[in-house]
Amino acid sequence: MDLIPMKVPDTMEGAIILSLIDFFLSLVIIYGISLILHIFPLLNKLGKISDEELKGGH
Amino acid sequence: MIEQFMGLLFALGEQTGLASITAGNIIMIIVGGLLVYLALSKKYEPFLLLGIGFSCIVSNVPGSDLTAPGGLFYYAFQGVEMVIIPPLIFLGVGAMTDFGPMISRPSLMILGAAAHAGIFIAIILAKMTGEFSIAEAGAIGIIGGADGPMAIFVTMKLAPHLLPQIAVAAYSYMALMPLIQPPVMKLLTSKAERSIVMKQVRPVSRLERIAFPFIIAIIVNLLLPPVAPLITMLMLGNMLREVLLVERLANTAANDLMNVITITLTVAVGSTMAADRFLTYKTMLIIGLGLIAFLGGTASGVIGAKIMNVFLKEKINPLVGSAGIASVPIAARVAHVVALKENPYNFLIMHAMGPNLAGVFGTAISGGILLALITH
Repeated sequence: MDLIPMKVPDTMEGAIILSLIDFFLSLVIIYGISLILHIFPLLNKLGKISDEELKGGH
Repeated sequence: MIEQFMGLLFALGEQTGLASITAGNIIMIIVGGLLVYLALSKKYEPFLLLGIGFSCIVSNVPGSDLTAPGGLFYYAFQGVEMVIIPPLIFLGVGAMTDFGPMISRPSLMILGAAAHAGIFIAIILAKMTGEFSIAEAGAIGIIGGADGPMAIFVTMKLAPHLLPQIAVAAYSYMALMPLIQPPVMKLLTSKAERSIVMKQVRPVSRLERIAFPFIIAIIVNLLLPPVAPLITMLMLGNMLREVLLVERLANTAANDLMNVITITLTVAVGSTMAADRFLTYKTMLIIGLGLIAFLGGTASGVIGAKIMNVFLKEKINPLVGSAGIASVPIAARVAHVVALKENPYNFLIMHAMGPNLAGVFGTAISGGILLALITH
């Protein structure tokens, strides 16, 4: 089956489809970002950056 | 002699705005006055409403041509029309914002998406009225994102002619959130739920804070190019803040630049509130739909938090869900105040800031998807 990009129809049905896709994708993308943030503490294994050194570095 | 004198007076009168003032102008001057009143007496978002109200009043005094091509307000509006001002506002917001509460508890981020059902309720209802195209309905829906610059950005791309109504609705409802949200929050939660005390969050290291803007800018820009200007500037501002090395730049973005842009933006928005464009049946519909979007977003955020509680061992206070609607930090403050009324020792503000900040991304993502699907 060949998929071709479609435009949202300017109808009530189009509004419902648009809303469902948008809400679902928003949840998925935000959840994806939250998964990445879950592994952020692992960054601390790379080392520590001192606030004092940064402030005094310029 | 008298004839000449009267003739000259008449010619002078013709040059003033008195000759062309309409009932619509007078109504809009009263509307502008109401915005100024809300800012002054109720302290509702004075940084925004004072400028919007003042320029609404002045723009509806005919004769000055402030909003006509060549007029001063016309040039202020070019910053909005060319979509330069909203990204610059985001630069300032990024430089002002501590994303620590969101980084430290990412599990609450999902509430930043859950609290945006209001956008979609408004889109569907707008289409149901039969008065709006799908692009106009999308622009109206984004009012429910409770994010002024994002509402302006999306509206300028989808339905620029609706900017005055949508900007005024978005900013006014953001200012009125302490009145709009609490009844919905109380209706959907029990006293016991509102009294839940949440566990302290972990501290976030400098390395995490510095990595955050880079990683988010890459992910969001990769997935949602239509909102790249906004997220890029938000993350640039945040990077300037978190590296600590360029305090002067971060302070300029967060303070001086932000103030200049805020003045320009409010003048530009207020100047679009011309009587002939604003006093229409569609304006009433947009104002009503905007309110429904805010109510719907608040409700869906609280319900989202309650659904999370079904699966969580350590329960969260469902009031934090309402903060997912964005409007940083007003919505987080509202959640905090409502919780404080049930338990004076329950300081919810930092817990609510996580979903509140996630709400900014939630609105950006929803707006980006709307733009991608409607304008491609």
